[in-house]
Amino acid sequence: MGSCEENMAAWLYGVNDLRVLPYKLPALGPRDVRVSMKAVGICGSDVHYLKTMSCGHFLVKEPMVIGHESAGIIDEVGSEVTTLAPGDRVALEPGTGCWRCDRCKEGRYNLCPDMKFFATPPIHGSLANKIVHPADLCFKLPDNVSLEEGAMCEPLSVGVYACRRAQIGPETNVLVMGAGPIGLVSLLAARAFGAPRIVVVDVDRNRLSVAKEVGAFATVQVSTKTEDIEKEVEQIQKAVGGVGIDVTLDCVGFSKTMSTALSATRSGGKVCLVGMGHCDMTIPLTPAAAREVDILGVFRYKNTWPQCLEFLSSGKIDVKPLITHRYGFSQEEVVDAFETSARGSNAIKVMFNL
Amino acid sequence: MSRENKTEEDGKENMAAWLVGIKTLRIQPYTLPPLGPHDAKIRIKAVGICGSDVHHFKHMRCANFVVKKPMVIGHECAGVVEEVGSQVKSLTVGDRVALEPGISCGRCNSCRVGRYNLCSEMKFFGSPPTNGSLATMVLHPANLCFKLPDNVSLEEGAMCEPLSVGVHACRRANIGPETKVLIVGAGPIGLVSMLAARAFGAPKIVMVDIDDCRLSFAKKLGADGTILASTKIEDVQDEVIQIENAIGARVDVSFDCVGVDKTMTTALSATRAGGKVCLVGLAQSQMSIPLTPAAAREVDVIGIFRYRNTWPLCIDFLRTGKIDVKPLITHRFSFSQQDVEKAFETTARGGNAIKVMFNL
Repeated sequence: MGSCEENMAAWLYGVNDLRVLPYKLPALGPRDVRVSMKAVGICGSDVHYLKTMSCGHFLVKEPMVIGHESAGIIDEVGSEVTTLAPGDRVALEPGTGCWRCDRCKEGRYNLCPDMKFFATPPIHGSLANKIVHPADLCFKLPDNVSLEEGAMCEPLSVGVYACRRAQIGPETNVLVMGAGPIGLVSLLAARAFGAPRIVVVDVDRNRLSVAKEVGAFATVQVSTKTEDIEKEVEQIQKAVGGVGIDVTLDCVGFSKTMSTALSATRSGGKVCLVGMGHCDMTIPLTPAAAREVDILGVFRYKNTWPQCLEFLSSGKIDVKPLITHRYGFSQEEVVDAFETSARGSNAIKVMFNL
Repeated sequence: MSRENKTEEDGKENMAAWLVGIKTLRIQPYTLPPLGPHDAKIRIKAVGICGSDVHHFKHMRCANFVVKKPMVIGHECAGVVEEVGSQVKSLTVGDRVALEPGISCGRCNSCRVGRYNLCSEMKFFGSPPTNGSLATMVLHPANLCFKLPDNVSLEEGAMCEPLSVGVHACRRANIGPETKVLIVGAGPIGLVSMLAARAFGAPKIVMVDIDDCRLSFAKKLGADGTILASTKIEDVQDEVIQIENAIGARVDVSFDCVGVDKTMTTALSATRAGGKVCLVGLAQSQMSIPLTPAAAREVDVIGIFRYRNTWPLCIDFLRTGKIDVKPLITHRFSFSQQDVEKAFETTARGGNAIKVMFNL
């Protein structure tokens, strides 16, 4: 069964040590599917694991397959799978909850303490020729949505989920801190949710022009210096045309960006902390709380794939401009791809084509 | 029935406690403006002292509010209706009422969506430049004067103001019969938050403070558990374990009724994934806190500023006995120069002084 070639994957062996080596798959369970991977994107967290063998409190203690933003073609389905068939093009949601804990049972499975998530140790990721995955985490792509766009559903899900938590709608004026991949998918999602004005700020002028191209109402170039906050808040108010900022999405996550976010948001508004920068932050929390500016945490996403596919299929969201670099699946190219992604700047989403 | 307005009643001038300088309060005449058609004139009977009053007293400012000219202090009050304006239908002379301090504009964006506590033109008793209510008489819009049932005293009426903070926090945090609550800080605000949380149905409430006496008081008032904490940030992990043991479950909602790095850090660390932390106490401006790990567990931070639409509910809680605020009134003073000074000294001392009340 399957091809006679060995299944290969990109294994993280140590700091800056990625090796394309054989990957033996587990047996296909009754509710699983085996997928031939076709498109895999690199995320900031993948790069972080490569550089530090850790991310937050997760530690890579033994070799682990990297990658989690993926789409592919169904190879084989388990005995009880009725919704998918071999040949189906699918996008993969990386993480499965336990469905037994309080968080899962209230539908907040993204917060499951026993979450098994691609490339979060000790769970292997999806940068491989083939993988085995639960069928209910594989979502069929509409005919007009490519496999690369399918892989983009993962980062796009973060933006969509943030927009839901913040209740972004046709009356919500939005500020996005950071024009990296997460800031950009948040911008795209906010537009799709109907936000009339979205201002994007970043330190990098090139990233700001990309933001403008994909629909930012206005952009403001900012510094890394805390002393500049007051001036930058004024520039933001001017850029948004003097109406209040209802919601700010901090897609960076440092003291400066969070402080700016809190100062720039109107009384009674919300700030979503999406980006995970520093652990400890020094921020003017009390003045914000005294204006009832609430802070919402955003961790990954839940129940977002169908909506992402709907947005992509209808054209309400176009993620293709975010894919700036493409690589094939070989030892050399895997190393190059990660170097490119880590570099940032004009590299937004680096995509593997397998 | 309205009479021609006089600034002097029965030959006696209206007097008030004026903040004239740092730590300087003087009882001096207070001329009231004319009675408008929607106003009521209230003979003040009970006034409580708030931490913000003490802050104004000590510093002639509180956050961005600066006392630039002499200002009447005080905002937690209740009294008896003396006179009503020509269009007032909800009150009659002789009615006993509790006063909601803040007059909102009704025109700004915040007011128009019903979040009038965030009004940009708010005129609030004892927040400069608006004169407060520690006076023999005040004028106030009738719609901000709430009738007290027969079984609710004027002192309890004055307590509606701090109690409203607790009630507003419970509403914003969605406290209900399944919500396990942690309250950091057992001062007046922590205590009214506890009373409100219980009234909203919270099955388990644990209180944390650095003062043992305040904790035993909290226990007497019904806290399910109390934890004596330190001021040292290194002790957070240990204290979180004690909190979890005391509450016997995960904390769903935390109220930080202090508002410093340590208390906020404790609250964020102790609250379960998907839970909420309300920042009620407004102490430190800049805070250094582990926000990212909390956000990565979707522990949301909810700001609380004063209250809105809380008086009817507070009065109902007091009427039915669902809340008993009387134990919080620990010290009483009369309205004289000497007593006003002693009262502020007592409140500023903290310790066993919870709510200091003036009886006029």
